[in-house]
Amino acid sequence: MPQFDTHFFSSLIFWEFLSFGILFWVLWKFAFPPILQTLDERERKIKESLEQADRHRAEAEQKMQEYEAKLKTASKEAETLLAAAKERAQRIMEENEQRLRTETQRSKEDATREIDQERRRAIQDIRNQTTEMALLVAEKVVGRSLNDADHKRMADEALASIAESRKT
Amino acid sequence: MEESPLHPFELHNYIPINLFGLDISINKAVIMMWVVVGLAAFLLVKAGRSRRMVPTKLQSLGELLVEFIRDIILDTMGKGGLKFFPFIATLFVFILFSNLLGLIPGTYTVTSQIIVTAVFALTVYAISIVMGFILHGVKFLGILVPPGTPGWLLPLMIPIELVSQLARPISLAVRLFANMTAGHTILGVLFGLAIGGGLLIGWLPFAFTIAMNGLEVGIAFIQAYIFTVLTCVYIGDAFHLHGADDHAH
Repeated sequence: MPQFDTHFFSSLIFWEFLSFGILFWVLWKFAFPPILQTLDERERKIKESLEQADRHRAEAEQKMQEYEAKLKTASKEAETLLAAAKERAQRIMEENEQRLRTETQRSKEDATREIDQERRRAIQDIRNQTTEMALLVAEKVVGRSLNDADHKRMADEALASIAESRKT
Repeated sequence: MEESPLHPFELHNYIPINLFGLDISINKAVIMMWVVVGLAAFLLVKAGRSRRMVPTKLQSLGELLVEFIRDIILDTMGKGGLKFFPFIATLFVFILFSNLLGLIPGTYTVTSQIIVTAVFALTVYAISIVMGFILHGVKFLGILVPPGTPGWLLPLMIPIELVSQLARPISLAVRLFANMTAGHTILGVLFGLAIGGGLLIGWLPFAFTIAMNGLEVGIAFIQAYIFTVLTCVYIGDAFHLHGADDHAH
């Protein structure tokens, strides 16, 4: 086998040591450190990103829960508000109705009373005028004048008797 | 076939150089070592230069390589082995590039030279022995006695373990050398058959050549990987004598 030819051994050994040494030095100084550093850096970065993502997710979840709770309280509040408003509206309506009814009642009563008064006054007027007219007629008929008090008494008696007769 | 199938492994000195009586002539294998070193250094330094968070293709390859070697070291030696990372990674890169570049027709496979693989294997073994004695002192000789061996078996066990220890660098060197030599020899023989067979029958060995070439690419990776893993295991053994430390095999 040509490989066992010792003639070349010395040069091969020499150049092997030299070239391996050079390669070792170059890789050790210029290739491995930056590659290892990049790997470490990437590992650190990935770890950091994952942690950050985890943290963000936890934060988002917490916020979500907060919002849900807020929403729940808000809807509850709205419900109570609505209920209160309904109740108030009902009360106001009832009050209005009540007031209207009483007012109507009162104005009706007022009107009745007024009518009654008017009627009574009218009757009184008619009575007075009738008395005066009767007196006038009577004066003309009797030809003499009675004093006023006599007239009145006599007219009243006459009217009372008329009213009495009308009643029966 | 008038030529030996091992003919491609022959070396010829292009430029004879003599350094203080030491013959360091330039031949094809030496030139291939330069190519391996130049290409590997260029690609890996370029890969390290880009340093992007979203890696470029070359950067990805470089990172893949670094993580691959780091995982091998962590698996076999534990965290303490990481200080050997530059040496082991360079070893892997050198062997892998030698194996792969040798597959290109017309080039030379550096690792098909037994002396090259032997130098690597002996260096690795020497590191493991020296490390062992530095870390454990005389107690490192206990590597010759597997844990739990009864006293009366020692005369038998120590020679056996000694042989197994000595077989380590030899097997390490021979495995890589033999794989590279055999693969290229088979390729050469098949291609010779393809040329010699003519059109009528020659296509068959030619098709085999193509398939074998694919297989050889795989073997180039696997042998580099095996060499690296065994390096880690041997140095790791010296590191953790009988798995006494945090990491056990």
